[in-house]
Amino acid sequence: MQLADFQNKILMLDGGMGTVLQQRGLPPGGQPELLNLTEPDLIRSVHRAYIDAGSQVIYTNTFGANRKKLARTGHSVDEIVRAAVRVAREAAGADALVALDIGPFGELLEPMGSLPFEDAYDLFREIAEAGAAAGADLAVIETMTDLYETKAALLAVKERTALPVFVTMSFEASGRTFTGCTIPSMARTLEGLGADAIGLNCSLGPDLLAPLLAELCRSTRLPVIAKPNAGLPDPVDGHYDMGPDAFAEALLPCLDAGVTIFGGCCGTSPEYIRKLNAVLAGKTPAKRTYDAASFVCTPVTPLRIDGVRVIGERINPTGKKRFQQALLENDLDYILDVGIQQEDAGADILDVNVGYPGVDEVAMLPRVVKTLQSALSIPLQLDSSNPDALEAGLRVYNGKAAVNSVNGNPEVLARVLPIVKKYGAAVVGLALDADGIPQTAEGRVTIARRILAAARAHGIPDEDVWIDCLTLTVSAQQEQAAETLRAVRTVHDALGLQTVLGVSNISFGLPNRALITQSFLTQAMYAGLTLPIINPNQREMMDAVAAFRVLSGEDGECRDYIARFAGAPVPTAPVPGGSGNLTLDDAIVRGLRADAGRLAKEALAQEDELSLVERRLIPALDKVGEGYEQGTLFLPQLLSAAQAAQAVFEVIRTSIARKGGAPVKKGRLVIATVQGDIHDIGKNIVKTVLENYGYDVIDLGRDVPPETILNTVQEQGVRLVGLSALMTTTLPAMEETIRLLHTLPEPPVVFVGGAVVTPEYAVHMHADYYAKDARQSVEIVRRVLG
Amino acid sequence: MQLNIDEALRYLGAGAQAPAALRQEMADVARQLMQTLRPRYIYRVYPLRHEEHAELLPDADVALTGSTARRMLAQCDQAVLLMCTLGAQFDTLLRTQQARDMSRAVMLDACGSAWVEAGCDAAEQELKTRFPERYLTDRFSPGYGDLPLTLQPGICAALDAQRRLGVTVTESLLLNPAKTVTAVIGLADAPQMARIRGCAYCALRQTCALRKGGTSCATG
Repeated sequence: MQLADFQNKILMLDGGMGTVLQQRGLPPGGQPELLNLTEPDLIRSVHRAYIDAGSQVIYTNTFGANRKKLARTGHSVDEIVRAAVRVAREAAGADALVALDIGPFGELLEPMGSLPFEDAYDLFREIAEAGAAAGADLAVIETMTDLYETKAALLAVKERTALPVFVTMSFEASGRTFTGCTIPSMARTLEGLGADAIGLNCSLGPDLLAPLLAELCRSTRLPVIAKPNAGLPDPVDGHYDMGPDAFAEALLPCLDAGVTIFGGCCGTSPEYIRKLNAVLAGKTPAKRTYDAASFVCTPVTPLRIDGVRVIGERINPTGKKRFQQALLENDLDYILDVGIQQEDAGADILDVNVGYPGVDEVAMLPRVVKTLQSALSIPLQLDSSNPDALEAGLRVYNGKAAVNSVNGNPEVLARVLPIVKKYGAAVVGLALDADGIPQTAEGRVTIARRILAAARAHGIPDEDVWIDCLTLTVSAQQEQAAETLRAVRTVHDALGLQTVLGVSNISFGLPNRALITQSFLTQAMYAGLTLPIINPNQREMMDAVAAFRVLSGEDGECRDYIARFAGAPVPTAPVPGGSGNLTLDDAIVRGLRADAGRLAKEALAQEDELSLVERRLIPALDKVGEGYEQGTLFLPQLLSAAQAAQAVFEVIRTSIARKGGAPVKKGRLVIATVQGDIHDIGKNIVKTVLENYGYDVIDLGRDVPPETILNTVQEQGVRLVGLSALMTTTLPAMEETIRLLHTLPEPPVVFVGGAVVTPEYAVHMHADYYAKDARQSVEIVRRVLG
Repeated sequence: MQLNIDEALRYLGAGAQAPAALRQEMADVARQLMQTLRPRYIYRVYPLRHEEHAELLPDADVALTGSTARRMLAQCDQAVLLMCTLGAQFDTLLRTQQARDMSRAVMLDACGSAWVEAGCDAAEQELKTRFPERYLTDRFSPGYGDLPLTLQPGICAALDAQRRLGVTVTESLLLNPAKTVTAVIGLADAPQMARIRGCAYCALRQTCALRKGGTSCATG
């Protein structure tokens, strides 16, 4: 049997393994993968029963055969996988294909859990290599709920084996997985990464999966798989509620929707496959309609580009002193904040550029991608001229990204397009080449055609090629504005491609820049610009986009426009001192962030940065802290004040970055949530408060191994360490960390806190201080660092 | 299903004395949370066997050791394993909120605890409706009394929690996503002693500052 021609035929997979084992009297619990070694005859007979029922592909009994789950069994992944493939092969003979079954780890990846993407890749690599070596015919990645984990598995199989690979994920009836992934996001991402077939398994019966499968069929060109449960389980006896006949009948609508690969999951047995085979006999695959839209996404945000979509330009160090400083200081919180502001202002996609002298872009771009994706939900466009940095960023990106950019230079195309193809990204092509920017629209369109041809030759679909016709400064080359607009129109109308344009450059050197930029933006959108790269925090630009969407009919019934403007008076220029007699002290105590920032700016006209911190900011924070201690103020209010202080600090940092002076830092400490502990909100509260007292907090995150803390203390010469633990089960890790720190010739001062830590236990662990809350942490840090 | 704002305020140490502005903002956070996501739960009913060293659920391969389980289940012939979670979506919300506004994040965290408890209450109501002729014990959870946290992996496996709710247990026995509760409820033919609504029910039973200080919000 060959897999070669499964694309145009109906292909039958198997049904549940665990269900059949239970029917045959196997007790609950234990690790079913071990049965490949202990009960090979039993496993072989289950496989054989499926083949006899009509399965053309059988899944090896390796769902949980990963290093994590096998850790306590004394057996290696290689041993179990080899045995499983052998047993399946013996059952299959020449009658069926053997699919290496790969399930999820049962542990969440970062940022939801603490397993790094790279480690997940390595765990999957081990399984994939063992399966390929043992002679599996294909690999199936199944029952996934996290698109990121799925990507790690798919990359591992694709890079380390030559096996065809099927991927199925589990969705709820709401159309999302447990982690919030949508059907279009799954489809576009996995097809881009090179899966051979994709589909849905587990979680629901065929009746509830049918509408989701129909959506999946529209979102991909790949063959689609349906492997549902036998309905839903009964809470009293655990039995699934759908019999073989009902199950098979309920899968017919899936055939009509375009599904060609069928099987069963929990609750199904060979009898279900037999019935399914009978029902599908003589049927032919349905005709499918693919939605060939331009598309980028994160798991939770599928972004179909069927109108104007705004790309935010602010994550870029060019000409921004404060951003450059953040990059050089590894201040990822600042960069995240720049991202959050743009998402809140309505950006649909964020351009991410971290190229700056002294910054290792290959290391920095993936770090920034991970940080942004930990808190933002919109897609990213990775912006770099360094192909290695692009690849490093695309590798860790969760979803389908865009790349900015290639150009008409054949060397650049040859170097970057294979990376774009491998990771299934969209790509921006700049209409220039080694000879520079053509001065005519025709010249730029010629380059656009060349880029499109090169992309096609690499197998990149047209909808993933976005052309940037380039904005030139109108005050320097006035005739070029019209050329750019003509080029945009041609690329949009004649080539049918998405168009990108960095708009702001148009007005450089002119007074009232916003007016020129906004006018040019409107003209460009009328000419066919779909992806303007702008500053979404600039109200005039977003207003122009909102108005354009009304006039183009894209904003149906003017809904978004009305929501944007109705009720809100059109703002005029801010009135200085409009908030009356509010003092900086009041603004901090009351947690008024915007006012605190504005008043700090005003105060800097009269006093220097250090005095502002020592004489105004810290006394105000202390006042709030005392209220908190006395029980008249509560944690949210303490944190509001800290955030207002943060706004003041931001003003101070910007002022210092502009002048090039030394930052105001009152001393450094390390904080971490100890190994095994993944709940870190308490530690984050302490961090927020300490930072806004001016301390330089090195936050090592959560689930931090003792060695990492020790190394950081040594490398950075830190004299103070704060540790938090939430669970009784992680207190030993805290104790171990302190023990390790005490092996240093000059151990740092250690303070501990967290829900389960008591003053007595702090003493027992030889911690120097116990902090019952964030406020006490401040007192301790003050005592130690001053 | 209704999120109890007073309960959420208590989690922040600000019960009845909470200033009006804080209460109002908490209500706002709670309203948004309730609109965004709902608690999901699964449960299964198992026959119960009273063994010398444990209350045994043979079909689940779970043994409830200790005097808490013994006392709570003394008159029961069945026990329910229950799991309720706000899912990874809540963790994502909380992470995003921490980056945006730490003050609202701690309120969201407290509301999340109250919301998952509301989900457990709803599951319990469903059980009462499903078994009108039976009597339920109070629900109690690993980590309460001497019911060990080491039960978590077994409960998750029995309920097939990873596949059915997306819940996993870490090596240090933490449930992930964070706002997840497992609980045991006994079923009996005789009325069960009502206990005051207290720590046994509370999502913070592991971590409560009041409990650590030897009191509780019910007594304090």
